[in-house]
Amino acid sequence: MHNQIAEFLNKRVDGANAVVNAPVAVVGDHSITVDSSKIYEVCVALKTSLEFSFNVLQVITGTDYPDRIELSYVLASYSKNLELILKANLPRGDKDNLPKINSVVSLWSAANFQERETYDMIGVEFLCHPDFRRILTPDDWIGHPLRKDYVVQEKYLDMVVDPPAKNNTYDQMFGKRLKEELGDPKRVSASWKDHSAGADSEAKDGE
Amino acid sequence: MSAHSNEQEDKIILGDQEVLKSDLLTLNMGPQHPATHGVLRVEIKTDSEIVVDAIPHLGYLHRCFEKHAENLDYRGIIPFVDRMDYLGAMSMELGYALTIEKMLGTEVPKRAEYIRVLVAELQRIASHLVFFGTYGIDLGAFTVFLYCFEDREEILRLFEELSGARMLYNYIWIGGVWNDITDDQLNRIKKFCDRFEGELKKYHSLVGENKIFIGRTANVGVISEQMAYDYGATGPVLRGSGVKWDLRKNRTYGIYDKFDFDVPVGTGEKGVVGDCWDRYHVRVLEMFESLKIVRQALDGIEEGPVMGKVPKIIKVPAGEIYMRTECPRGELGYHLISDGGKTPYRLKVKSSCFTHVSMLPAIAPGLMIADLVASIGSIDIVLGEVDR
Repeated sequence: MHNQIAEFLNKRVDGANAVVNAPVAVVGDHSITVDSSKIYEVCVALKTSLEFSFNVLQVITGTDYPDRIELSYVLASYSKNLELILKANLPRGDKDNLPKINSVVSLWSAANFQERETYDMIGVEFLCHPDFRRILTPDDWIGHPLRKDYVVQEKYLDMVVDPPAKNNTYDQMFGKRLKEELGDPKRVSASWKDHSAGADSEAKDGE
Repeated sequence: MSAHSNEQEDKIILGDQEVLKSDLLTLNMGPQHPATHGVLRVEIKTDSEIVVDAIPHLGYLHRCFEKHAENLDYRGIIPFVDRMDYLGAMSMELGYALTIEKMLGTEVPKRAEYIRVLVAELQRIASHLVFFGTYGIDLGAFTVFLYCFEDREEILRLFEELSGARMLYNYIWIGGVWNDITDDQLNRIKKFCDRFEGELKKYHSLVGENKIFIGRTANVGVISEQMAYDYGATGPVLRGSGVKWDLRKNRTYGIYDKFDFDVPVGTGEKGVVGDCWDRYHVRVLEMFESLKIVRQALDGIEEGPVMGKVPKIIKVPAGEIYMRTECPRGELGYHLISDGGKTPYRLKVKSSCFTHVSMLPAIAPGLMIADLVASIGSIDIVLGEVDR
């Protein structure tokens, strides 16, 4: 099926450069990589083709690799019962110059939220998107969390996001107090009875 | 002169009458609002009581599950998966376990497969019961809420015995299930099925056939078939729009091909196809179908181990997979990219609720505020899954 689709795309769209990626191991799914500048044309061709008619966009996701960002569009066809992972590679860019790709919102409205999420999490700009802003994190958040080199900001407004000590100090203090006041906390938390009087006899019961 | 022109602008022609023009009022519904079923904020622009625009604002429950998953081993992800759709945790686990098993090529013992089907379908009933009850409350019918939660409690009590937790189970593991089910529990499920079927019919006649309920839901929040495709709707929302599509039938997984059940679709019985009543009705009928599957699973369950052979340290071979399963709220997809290590390189979750929330701006214009509440209730979202 994937070879047919790749052939169809190469014939239909100029410069699509559709290539089938076979799974590395024996298991897993095939996918098709196309040229990122032609993504809109490719999607039009896939949606309108009578042979495949991919009428549903399931999800758009991005993956951050050391040398590139790989966008995956998962398309599905309910009438033909097909599923396709379509891929496009983009340069990683940097903070001020995020990679750009054409939006497909005009084809599938489902892409609206998916592209916003991809922008929010991976940092890819979608051109011609009707309502382009962050979706899951606040509008003034810095960075894109699912990039591999993401470092969380120390403070957001006045809240500490990334405290220097990661442990829960309250829990630690509670445990310390318990130990000081009651001796062995394990024994106490097991029964919550008066440990000074019946501790020995209880331990024997346990044995 | 300026005053004069203002007067002119304040009036608009509506039909053949000249009426006062009113400004739009912006109203925040949520994030703490009982009708949004969680921490969803919908920014509504209203013209008197008519909604002109509704903009959902998400992210109040965002925990960046996908980033967590990149730092955990494959077994350690399961408890996190639970916390996405906390009302349908078993289904979340099932999808995840199937994804990894497909990559590993693990063979799951027959008994474990049957137990998985049992718990997944019971979970579907429990989840739809929450929808049923809370939807009643949304529309002002309180009685059915108590009935539904009583029955749901019975299922949750059983799950608690099985897994040790009421809602977040960590029960379905890679390769099988954590613990075996006893004959006593199987008998109880059977008794529950017999009792619940009659009860559900009663509830449906109490709520679904109620004139006020029909008046509130029929012809309201219509999602047409084309719109459902366009927005990528799945599950009961898609079926409510009249599309006969169920992954359990059309792209079967696990042992679902052994079971005989129907796929209910919306028919526009009380109004038009794809209105709130249709989506409600599809869910009710789905509960009956789930009962059918549970009964067949009880008959077919066989003795044997419940855990397959899985390596001690799971390393998924390099590659990728997209696996989707039919959850109570729609299709859940796991897109796993592995580089052959102990942790996933990227694990993306396709959440059906996230997709369904994106339909709100398209449904809302022209509805009354109270009807918007009915529409949000009918698409049945869980914010844990929306925000992940």
